[in-house]
Amino acid sequence: MKKDNNLSILLKGILLENPVFVLILGTCPTLATTTTVIGAFSMGLAAAVVLICSNAVISLLRKVIPDTARIPCYIIIIAGFVTLVQMFMQAFLPAIYDLLGVYLALITVNCIILGRAEMFAGKNSVGKSVLDGVGMGIGFTLALLSISTIREILGAGSFAGIEIPFISNYKIEFFVKAPGGLLVYGIMIAVVIKLTKGRAPYKKDFSCAGCPSKGLCNPELCRDRVKEEA
Amino acid sequence: MDTFKSLIVILMSSVLINNYVLSRFLGICPFLGVSKKLNQAVGMGIAVIFVMLMATAVTWPIQYYVLDKNDLSYMQTIVFILVIATLVQFIEIFLKKLIPALHKSLGVYLPLITTNCAVLGVTINNISDGYSFLESMVSSLGCGLGFLLAMVLFSGIRSKIDETNIPESIKGLPITLITASFISLAFFGFSGIVDNLFG
Amino acid sequence: MKNYIKTIVSLTVICAVISALLALGNSITAPIIEKNQASAANESLKVVMPDGEEFQEVDITKYKLPESVSSVFSEKNGGYVFTVEVTGYSSGLIIMCGVDKNGTVTGTLPIASAETLGYENTYGEKLSGATLETIDAVDTISGATKTTAAYKTAVKDSLNAFVIMGGGSVDLRSEEEILNDELSKALPSADGKFTEVFLTENVTHIKALFKADNETGYVAYTLSLDGNNYIATDKDGNVPENSDATVVEISNEIKMLISSKLTEIDITAYQNMPAQIQKAYKTNNGNFVFELRAAGYGINGGNQWHPASGEYIYIKASASADGKIIAVKTLSQKESEGIGDACADKKFYSQFDGKTEENYGEIDAISGATITTNGYKTAISKIFEAIKILKGEV
Repeated sequence: MKKDNNLSILLKGILLENPVFVLILGTCPTLATTTTVIGAFSMGLAAAVVLICSNAVISLLRKVIPDTARIPCYIIIIAGFVTLVQMFMQAFLPAIYDLLGVYLALITVNCIILGRAEMFAGKNSVGKSVLDGVGMGIGFTLALLSISTIREILGAGSFAGIEIPFISNYKIEFFVKAPGGLLVYGIMIAVVIKLTKGRAPYKKDFSCAGCPSKGLCNPELCRDRVKEEA
Repeated sequence: MDTFKSLIVILMSSVLINNYVLSRFLGICPFLGVSKKLNQAVGMGIAVIFVMLMATAVTWPIQYYVLDKNDLSYMQTIVFILVIATLVQFIEIFLKKLIPALHKSLGVYLPLITTNCAVLGVTINNISDGYSFLESMVSSLGCGLGFLLAMVLFSGIRSKIDETNIPESIKGLPITLITASFISLAFFGFSGIVDNLFG
Repeated sequence: MKNYIKTIVSLTVICAVISALLALGNSITAPIIEKNQASAANESLKVVMPDGEEFQEVDITKYKLPESVSSVFSEKNGGYVFTVEVTGYSSGLIIMCGVDKNGTVTGTLPIASAETLGYENTYGEKLSGATLETIDAVDTISGATKTTAAYKTAVKDSLNAFVIMGGGSVDLRSEEEILNDELSKALPSADGKFTEVFLTENVTHIKALFKADNETGYVAYTLSLDGNNYIATDKDGNVPENSDATVVEISNEIKMLISSKLTEIDITAYQNMPAQIQKAYKTNNGNFVFELRAAGYGINGGNQWHPASGEYIYIKASASADGKIIAVKTLSQKESEGIGDACADKKFYSQFDGKTEENYGEIDAISGATITTNGYKTAISKIFEAIKILKGEV
């Protein structure tokens, strides 16, 4: 790995290692909350806050947490921050809390957060981990925003709830329904592949090797599977 | 009779209409990752059903008899995910000791399930939908079956896709997602069925 | 070993710290969340009570309210909003009903129902402004009688609950319960179980007669005595000696009724006997009892929404030899649910009591069930014809 300077850590989350389009992490909220721009933006911000906080705390505690109990500790810390975000959202932004529903609680199991804890925060200093969190958070939010913009404009004829004249007369409801999400996401990844001339996605496919949760798995079984897949 | 009817409605709607993978997007990661081969898809699906049922059987009483009683319902997320993680560990140890054959076929998938949002999702949804214990179990079974159904359907299609000649840019993940989109569209045909199932 | 301890200690410490943080977060946000939820709940309360201010939930466990009332909010100016759940056409109907401090309905809102869609909303408007005195006069909607009747019951329960909450008392018993309570009061030895006796003879005082299921006696309902409408007798119809003269007359009527024996008449022997007459009997005193079948909606009706059942309405009727109806009772029917099946209600068939050939038609039709009513009336009219045939006058 080449030496990371702070700017590149920040930027790689936004572009080169964009969690949604390149690392293909956190697909569930990517698809579920992008029916509206507002929902997608809030989801992105909520996940970013959890990501930054958990990255900071995990990095701070990386010398204290014993290696064997690493994953449960990460999960507790992440779940704690998710619950805090849930509480404050319910108190101060109840409408958005209702809009995101169960997906807010599911940030806990969003692979981006556990993945970054495992891949980055557990090994790097607090400053770098926070920067990584900010970069990944912005990358995640921007990705959600781009998908939701396409879906809301085509599917509901509006942007962030504001109706767009003319387009709102020709809504294609398909795009705000489940199949539309999958289609838009698939096409956008294809576009990213085309633009990067095949260098992305970083994770060509789903396999144990690219799995952020691989630390959770039984190492022997995981190794067997990696071998099998190879 | 009425309870039986409502249980069937819950089951059918969680398998077909509110299919966790295809309309609620829960458990998409394993859906895209493990659905390459039929036997893997079935293994993962069965493991998910198993864990969902176990997790619901444990989290439902915890929510109603521990958290709600002590005004701790804000601890829901953290307690549920810990319970699921612990449960998965226990099941793995248990299977390894007692039924090694089953462990060999399901064991690989078990740890992946801890971070499968479908499992945490179903336990939370059962609570927020106000289901009784029996209804929760049925809804978990339905969600698990729906997951299995989607996985099995998809593994069949994917083996065909891998052999087709398609543009370079949409190879791999994009074509997988686009195909998933069409299956999801097909599942739309089921909405409305359950309401009219019993006239 | 050292590793194990380290693992356990670090996990425990992290858990404790996170729990403490969450408790702190909860103590900050919980009051705000509660306030938010209360104001959201207030929005729906405002719909049923537009002028209401500051609602507060009331603990209803200390009041004895109608069972259907599930929650109550009190309003600053003395009004209440009730959430009521009743059974209608198919399953539960839940409504919210606002009652102001004067006991007037300010508005209703159906929250959940599986009822005939559409009727609830328009019907709710009809009930706005009703009070406990005027609500009975609000008509149900024909074609959706059960739904609208359930709606009306729910609103009435709210009004009753309002009276109780204000310290008043209302009779929450249904008509059947009131009757049963009165009967039990008159004859306690019956253990509250009575069966109505079908009247087959001409009586002047007795309006209805009830027999104790354990055969300990009879209770007659009469309007001939002031203030005491229920007269109890022993199992042979005897009343205590030195009773009031009218009571003795009632006792004699009961004796006549219970000694009445029916002898079947072979109706095949009579030509031109109307098809509606299935069986005919003669009593000791020369009165007649008929078993009839009426072709109602089940035979003559049927459309895509309410298919005809193909079943007749079966009726039992008694009449005096001079052609006056003593009593009528619907034995069985399969008319449209919620509409024509009202012909099985005592309210409907008791209208025929005392009618003659000249005025039997002057009864109130079942709303929305013309075919049922007409079939029923036609069958009853055949009684007068049958009596003439049996007496050999035709």
